[in-house]
Amino acid sequence: MITQQEEYSLIDKILAGDRQQYSILVDGYKTYAFTIAFKILGNRPEAEEAAQDAFIKSFHYLKSFNRQAKFSTWLYRIVFNTAISYKRKSKQTFQSIDNTIVEYSDRADKQMERDDKQLYVAKAMDSLNEADRLAIQLFYIKEFSLEEVAETMGQNMNTLKVRIHRARLRLADELKKILKEEALTL
Amino acid sequence: MNKLSQEKEERLLRYLDGELDKEASQQLEVELQTSEVLQNRLNDLRVVRTFLLQKGTLESPSKNFTQKVMSGLDKKLANSFSPRQGLLLLVGTIVASGIALALLSAGVFDAPTVPLVVDAPLKNNWLNIPSISIPFNGKILVNGILILNLGLALILLDRTILKPIFQKRISSEV
Repeated sequence: MITQQEEYSLIDKILAGDRQQYSILVDGYKTYAFTIAFKILGNRPEAEEAAQDAFIKSFHYLKSFNRQAKFSTWLYRIVFNTAISYKRKSKQTFQSIDNTIVEYSDRADKQMERDDKQLYVAKAMDSLNEADRLAIQLFYIKEFSLEEVAETMGQNMNTLKVRIHRARLRLADELKKILKEEALTL
Repeated sequence: MNKLSQEKEERLLRYLDGELDKEASQQLEVELQTSEVLQNRLNDLRVVRTFLLQKGTLESPSKNFTQKVMSGLDKKLANSFSPRQGLLLLVGTIVASGIALALLSAGVFDAPTVPLVVDAPLKNNWLNIPSISIPFNGKILVNGILILNLGLALILLDRTILKPIFQKRISSEV
């Protein structure tokens, strides 16, 4: 993990012309950057391209990084915007349950029921609007704070909190609805 | 279907996230024992939370990710003008259109249609190519340029002022 001081010193070196130092920043943040792009695009090759593009953009705009926020937050915002514009271009839809390969094996009934419910939640995700889905997906990325997600998405923290709560309740509603429909078809 | 109040739903979410204090948690647990609706809702919300936590794992990019970024650093970024450049261009277009309109209304281009005479490139005794005459009206030309200019101004207005404003508004609403 790079400390903020080390980060600033790296940025100074890069701005002074030592571009090789940028690889340290890329190595430090590539996993999170890729994860954000992947959550938005739902497609590995495209997410990889978008994340790489975002790193290239951030290199070119490094001079404009004012050091008032964390470098990571500034970078994730670029990743977020780049991935969103990729999504608009390709008009890709999120991976739906129809594309998910489900492997069944012998499992205890309870485990099976739990796994089925998880699949239904995946299906319910499709019912959320894009902004709610993105908010909830980014918020649940490991170790991401509400503040970080809010800054990455360019939203107010309270608005984001409400959005996440609303999305969770909506998912629970959808889950109930799907289970009810499933029960009727049996 | 018994619909829970917003306050109760909020409490369930905070309970699952471990945000309720001890007293509030105990109170909710008592309520849970007596209300099947509350229990079912908690179970559904728990399934959703488990799903989201499982989905929240980090994804690893390809092994040569850093290498690809480093080799792409010289890649030219897509050209798009900055809002400042766009605004300057918009002002320039409006000024040019204004000047053209002023000249038009002053009657500078009101002269009658004059023919543009194009002489034949070769003249000799054996071949008699007549000169070509094209009727030219300056007013029509300036009107055409003015319309194109106004179209350009509208596009610039959309790209540099209106679009950023609406995008900002949408992202603040989102």
